Amino acid sequence: MTAPSLAAAPAALTGRRNLEGNEACALGAIRAGCRFFAGYPITPSSEVAETMARELPKVGGTFIQMEDEIASMGAVIGASMGGVTAMTATSGPGFSLKQENLGYACGAEIPCVIVNVMRGGPSTGMPTRPAQGDILQARWGTHGDHAVIVLAPASVGEAYSETIRAVELSETLRVPVVVLLDEVIGHLTETVDLGAVAEAPGIARPFATGPREGFLPYAETADLVPPMPRPGDGYRSHCTGLTHGPDGFPTQNPAVAAAALTRTTDKLVLHRARIESWREQATEDADLLIVAIGISARAARQAVKDLRAEGLKVGLFRPVTLWPFPETPLREAVAAAGTRKVLVPEMNQGQLVLEVERVLAGRAEVTGLSRIDGETLTPDEIAGAAREALK
Amino acid sequence: MEIRFSGSGGQGLLLSARILAAALTEAGLTVAQSNAYEPVSRGGLSRSDLVIGEAEADYPLAQRLDVLLILDEAAATVSTGLLTPASLVLCDAERVTTPPQGPFRTLCLPFTETARTLGTPRVTNIVALGALTAQTSICPPEALMAVIVAQTPARFERLNREAFAAGLAMGETEPA
Repeated sequence: MTAPSLAAAPAALTGRRNLEGNEACALGAIRAGCRFFAGYPITPSSEVAETMARELPKVGGTFIQMEDEIASMGAVIGASMGGVTAMTATSGPGFSLKQENLGYACGAEIPCVIVNVMRGGPSTGMPTRPAQGDILQARWGTHGDHAVIVLAPASVGEAYSETIRAVELSETLRVPVVVLLDEVIGHLTETVDLGAVAEAPGIARPFATGPREGFLPYAETADLVPPMPRPGDGYRSHCTGLTHGPDGFPTQNPAVAAAALTRTTDKLVLHRARIESWREQATEDADLLIVAIGISARAARQAVKDLRAEGLKVGLFRPVTLWPFPETPLREAVAAAGTRKVLVPEMNQGQLVLEVERVLAGRAEVTGLSRIDGETLTPDEIAGAAREALK
Repeated sequence: MEIRFSGSGGQGLLLSARILAAALTEAGLTVAQSNAYEPVSRGGLSRSDLVIGEAEADYPLAQRLDVLLILDEAAATVSTGLLTPASLVLCDAERVTTPPQGPFRTLCLPFTETARTLGTPRVTNIVALGALTAQTSICPPEALMAVIVAQTPARFERLNREAFAAGLAMGETEPA
């Protein structure tokens, strides 16, 4: 049996244009080969679904508005198991609902991309106002030890390129990837030149080939990514949320269970160089380093320039891959510059700061800067906190 | 340069900002447009901001407004903290009863009244866009009009042309 017949990838988007962050996620996914979207509209992510509804049919893809977020996640997993690159998008309350099925995708190693545009929470919270309160939920929202990748774009151009990367990492590593935006980046329109951002990715999921007899759907391969059997290709396989060994069937054998769970997490360690991504600005001699993501990082970017103009040695370390956190690069940046202080501005009561404290473990004095009133942290606020910390 | 369009949800503020952003991008500038609105289907405080420059803005949100447009009393005071002595404030003379007070230039102009005279208050945003264009010379009026035609329904073209022309004339009669 041949692969599902899908229309050719759309032409690369070239030229300068004004694009919204949510729209960029959708277009990036399609560019990367996504041909299935199931979702349930929710502010501030609805434009992802809206763009998918408009654009997917043009490339032979399928858009389904499901009855809720739980079903959307189920449909995405089903489509992906059927061999199609699939994505969904949501915001806080919907992200909470998706966690059970997201855990299934982690356990059964089903590639999928989940865009989560963060709004004020908990619960219904402030639907149209920005927050960054899902930083830890994106990592630990579903239960049990599990591997997941989280990418955190800080511009519209990056919403496009990081969604392409999300598809690439998800498909080639068999792991769910969360694209974590805040409301500001999701709803921000920026002038971008996508021709300068993206090359044709040529992403291909490694499907099983070779003998059907004795096929093991979760075999421990050298790259720790077992090739997925494509339905119709004739491989007998079993897929379950129960802990399973190489044959795909449930097991309670302690050695088999431990090896299987360890492989899914070791997988991300083995491929860490491909997964990790971060940006540094003026870090080389920074007395104080700011660590931030999303719109808080954009505010920090200006704060660093303003503080440098005052003669203060301040830099910015911005994780683009939020999870797994780029811990060695952060330690190296701090060590290379002899950084004494680290400031972590974020729109929650202190989540990213916990990881930074863990990673630096006393190598520098870490301070958080929180804002939870539905407004963004401004460059002036961050600059003020940096000046205070350097006193 | 930073421009804020503010008023009540449903007044076409986001559309106005999107139209101006498109015209500026075509002129070679780089724009960041952000919006804020309330979780209601109509009404509520609504605004859209443009941060305009030569390259991607470090911080893409408004901090010090060069131009503030206020089309409804709901937005009369909320942006005052972002004004400087160099700011220009354009208020709708009818729907803004308490224009911001301070060391900046404020013009109260009959946007709504003019739109109603032309046939419908729905083109108030286009009248205001015309006045803003005349006052700031931010982009050639013809370029902006072309984007208005491209981004709005064809059946409103004549009305939008009249509204934009009326706004331009209104803005030109005031000292820039």
